[in-house]
Amino acid sequence: MEQWVVVTIVISAYLALTLTIGMLAGRRSTDSVAGYVAADRSFGLLVMYFVTGASVFSAFAFLGGPGWAYSRGAAALYILAYGALGMAPFYWIGPRVAALGRRHGYVTQAQMITGRFPSKGLSALIALLSLIAFVPYVTLQMRGAGIVIEAVTDGNVPIWLGSLVAYGIVIIYVLSSGAMAVGWTNTFQGVFMVVIAWTLGLYLPNRLYGGIGEMFAQIDAARPEHLVPPGLTATGDPWTWGAFSTFILVSAVGLMMWPHLFMKAFTAKDDDTMRRTVILFPTFQLFLIPVFLIGFSGVLFAGTPQAPDFILPFMILETELPAIVVGLFCAGALSASMSTGDALLHASASVFVEDGVAKFVDLEERTQRRLMQLLVLLTGATAYVFAQDPDSSLVLLLASAYGIICQFAPPVVAALYWRRATTAGVTAGLVAGALTAFFFWQTPELKPFDMHEGIIGLLVHVPVLVGVSLATPAQDEAHVENFMA
Amino acid sequence: MSLRLARTLTAAYFGLMLVFVTWPGFVPFARVEPLVLGLPFSMAWIAAWIAGSVVVLFLLDRVEKRYRDEDDPRADPRAGPMDGGDT
Repeated sequence: MEQWVVVTIVISAYLALTLTIGMLAGRRSTDSVAGYVAADRSFGLLVMYFVTGASVFSAFAFLGGPGWAYSRGAAALYILAYGALGMAPFYWIGPRVAALGRRHGYVTQAQMITGRFPSKGLSALIALLSLIAFVPYVTLQMRGAGIVIEAVTDGNVPIWLGSLVAYGIVIIYVLSSGAMAVGWTNTFQGVFMVVIAWTLGLYLPNRLYGGIGEMFAQIDAARPEHLVPPGLTATGDPWTWGAFSTFILVSAVGLMMWPHLFMKAFTAKDDDTMRRTVILFPTFQLFLIPVFLIGFSGVLFAGTPQAPDFILPFMILETELPAIVVGLFCAGALSASMSTGDALLHASASVFVEDGVAKFVDLEERTQRRLMQLLVLLTGATAYVFAQDPDSSLVLLLASAYGIICQFAPPVVAALYWRRATTAGVTAGLVAGALTAFFFWQTPELKPFDMHEGIIGLLVHVPVLVGVSLATPAQDEAHVENFMA
Repeated sequence: MSLRLARTLTAAYFGLMLVFVTWPGFVPFARVEPLVLGLPFSMAWIAAWIAGSVVVLFLLDRVEKRYRDEDDPRADPRAGPMDGGDT
C-alpha cells in the first residue's frame, strides 16, 4: 500500500472518532441557550483543563511555533513566555466572572461588560470587534488543516478538499451539540496533541543530531545568531527587544480576553474547577518546548520547506518515518487546528447573536439558538473562502487580531474593579484604543521602539477610559452595588 | 500566612517574571551557554519561570482555600484581590 493511502486511512479514522465524540457529547446538554453556549455550566477539571489548553494551542502553535523556531530562532521564545503571565490573573478574575454569570445569567463577555455599562452601542461594538478578530483566526486554522493534509498526502488531497472535510466535521458537531461537543472533543484532541508533540520533539533531535544538547551545540557553532534572544525577523535580520517584549505583553494581556477563552469562565462547573485549571495551565505551556525542538531540528537540515510554516510536515516526511506515524502526526496537527477552530466558530456565533442581534430585536430562545447555528455556518464559509488564498499572510493577521482583542482588557477590569468607571469612559476608551491599534497596524514605520500596535493602543486606551470616566457623572450607586455585590 | 501576604507574593512573582522575560531584565540571561538539560540557557530560563508559577499558584491556592473553608468574606471572589488585609 502506498504511504499516502495509509496516512489517509489514519486521518479518516481520527476524524471519524472526533465526530463520534462530538455527537455523543451533544446528547448530554439541554436544548437551551445556556446549554448551547455554556454547556449548562457543567465542565469538570479534566474537561476544563483540556478545553482551555487545546483551544489556546492552535495551528499557530503547532505549525507556526516550529516555523518560528526554524526561521526566526530565539524569537519563538515569546510564544513560550506569555501564557503563564496571561493566565495567572484569572485565578481571581475567573471565579468573579463566573459568580456574575450565575447571578445575572451572562453567557458572553459583552453581556458582562454591558451589564455594568448598559449600552446597546457598546455591545454591538464588542460583537463587531470580536468578529473582526475571529475571522482571520478561523481562516488560519482552516488553512493549517489544509496545508498539513496536502503535505502528507503528497498533494493527493489538495488544500481545498482537506480543509473542507476537516471543517465540515467541526461544523457538524458544533452545530448539533454546541459547547458540550467542543469540550469533549478538545479533551480527546488535547491528549492527542501532547503525546504526538513530545514523541516527535524528543525523537527528531536524537535521530538527526544524537541528542538535544548536541543539536543546540551544533546550531550554536554554525549559526550563533539564531539562538540568542530576541532572535531574528522573518527576513533574517536581528529582531528588536521592543518588539519581543511588547509581543509578550500584548499576548499576555490579550490571551484570556479572546471571547472563546473568556467564555470558559461561564462553562466551569464551580470555582474550584476554574482555579485548578489556572494552576495547571502553565504545564500545558511547557508543551511548546518539544514543538520548538521539532522546528530547531530543521535548522541545519539539508533541504528547505516551501515556507517556514511547513517545517513540521517537511521534517516528518524527510526523515522517512513509517506511514502510520506520519498519519498520527497529521491527526495531532489537525487536533491543534480543529480544537481551536471549533471553539472560535462556536464563540463567534454566540457573541454575534447574543451581543449583536439579540440586543436590538426580541428573540425567542429557540430562534436565538437557530440563528447561532446559522452564524456558525456563515463564519465557517467566510473563513473557508479566505483560506483558499495562497497569499494570505495569516500569522500577521493573527498578530494584529491580538491588537484588537487586548483592548477588551481595560473594559473587563473596569467593570469588575473600578466603581467610578462610566459607560461613556469605557466606550470612548475602547474606540480610541481600537482606532490607535488599527492606525499603527497600517503604518508600522511610525511605531515607537518597534512596539506592538496593541500596546500603543492600550497606552491611549487607558488614559481615555480614566479621563472620560472622571469627566462624566458617576454611575448610580445602586446600579453599581447591584452589579458588584 | 495571611491572605493578603499570599496574594502580594503571588503578584510579585508574576511581576518579576514579566521583568525577567522581557527587556531589560531578560538581557543578562539571553544567551545559549550553559545548556540546561540540553536546552539553550534562555529557553531553560523561561521554562523555569513557568514551572515556578505552577508551584506559586499551588501554594496560593492552599492559603486561599483555608480562608474559603472558613467562609471568610475576604476570600469571596466578589471582594477585590487586595481586600485580603488583616485590618
